Amino acid sequence: MTKKQLIFIKGTKEGLVLRLDDQCSYTELLDELAKKVSDEGFEGQAEVLLHLGYRYCNDEQTKEIISCVQQTEHLRVTKIQSEVMTVEDCNRRLLENQSETYVGIVRSGQVITALGDLVVVGDVNPNGRVVAGGNIFVLGRLKGIAHAGSSGNKDAVIAASWLEATHLIIDSVVETMTDELTVLSEQPEMECAYLHTNGSIAIDRLQDLRLLRPNLSTFKGGS
Amino acid sequence: MGEAIVITSGKGGVGKTTTTANLGTALALQGKKVCLMDTDIGLRNLDVVLGLENRIIYDLVDVIEGRCKIHQALVKDKRFEDRLYLLPAAQTVDKNAVNPEQMKELVLELKREYDYVLIDCPAGIEQGYKNAIAGADKAIVVTTPEISAVRDADRIIGLLEQEGTIDPPKLIINRIRQHLMNQGDALDINEITTHLSIDLLGIIADDESVITSSNKGEPVVMNPSNRAALGYRNIARRILGESVPLMSMDLPKVGVFSKIKSIFSK
Repeated sequence: MTKKQLIFIKGTKEGLVLRLDDQCSYTELLDELAKKVSDEGFEGQAEVLLHLGYRYCNDEQTKEIISCVQQTEHLRVTKIQSEVMTVEDCNRRLLENQSETYVGIVRSGQVITALGDLVVVGDVNPNGRVVAGGNIFVLGRLKGIAHAGSSGNKDAVIAASWLEATHLIIDSVVETMTDELTVLSEQPEMECAYLHTNGSIAIDRLQDLRLLRPNLSTFKGGS
Repeated sequence: MGEAIVITSGKGGVGKTTTTANLGTALALQGKKVCLMDTDIGLRNLDVVLGLENRIIYDLVDVIEGRCKIHQALVKDKRFEDRLYLLPAAQTVDKNAVNPEQMKELVLELKREYDYVLIDCPAGIEQGYKNAIAGADKAIVVTTPEISAVRDADRIIGLLEQEGTIDPPKLIINRIRQHLMNQGDALDINEITTHLSIDLLGIIADDESVITSSNKGEPVVMNPSNRAALGYRNIARRILGESVPLMSMDLPKVGVFSKIKSIFSK
């Protein structure tokens, strides 16, 4: 009886795709993988996409698999794909992608935090702080501190009816809105702040947001 | 059952004690039974402003620690028959001598006998502030047209709003100098009310006689021809549920009037 093949290798334009069987035991898979990688006569430098199928691997196991593949200097894992995730991950991702709404005034000394997007209906007064893992939208005067993309999202934006913040923070880039700042316009009405490709925070009209961050709009359909 | 109103500001020196003394006096003039309570333990002033300093025998801490009965500690202001009383703060200990639960009990007891219990809050947001607001049903935030005072008022309003047991605070803008406002050198009334976005209870003009009368131990509100006194009297009437238009400093301000209408009308 021939043993069932656990690892399928396929070549594509982008590089190699390693599809790993998701029914066999983990140790079996690792053994087979080590054998396959050392046996095959790989040449040159190939980029590898690992496809785990319906097998759930935790961070440690994933690392183990990667290091196993990268035993030969010919292979480099660039991407890992999986069909499954834990409930915990799923819940976290749901929270990160949802938008939370705060209605009221964020007063001096108050901190409003959201994992995903944050919509504030009301003013953010000086020394008030709004922090969001995603974007921040203020329907009112933003006169305090706004920190968007706090979990490392460089694409996050801060938009406000009146953008008069004392500090703008996106990801970990801080901009103090002092008088010397040339990007400050005379009229702070309807503006947005985003991380420019040059690495610093830029401020533009709200109307330009559509072009700056085309992925921001999640609206589908309509006419 | 009366109601307890705490007068607070966050920042020091904006006129909390003066406001407490004058509003209390104005309410007593209107025929209400009023108890003023000084919670600035260790730095008491309210007795001095009212001119009752040398009639203090027992104080708030004595009451809380059971060394005397409440009525023994209350100092009667003889100018108002038996309508105005003061519960003075202790001077020899500090704010940690009492806790919010004890204050709550004390205020509750006073509310049974008086129409209004006005609580003079110390500056800051620490223990003294927490004690002062513990028993209050309503809050008045005092500010002046200065950015620093308005910032602190904003902070205090935020803290008061988180306190579920207190009604939304009302605002008094104290020490208004109309010529500075007209020149644009001081924040104007509209600016302050939109920034803090709470109801305006009244405005008080800056007047030297407030200082001189405090030094004499006679609240300025007793002099009916004074403009600061008029401001305090108007606020007292609004607390009693009357609808009194905002007094004009020099120029009438449009837009703020409408905010006054619904104030304290329960």
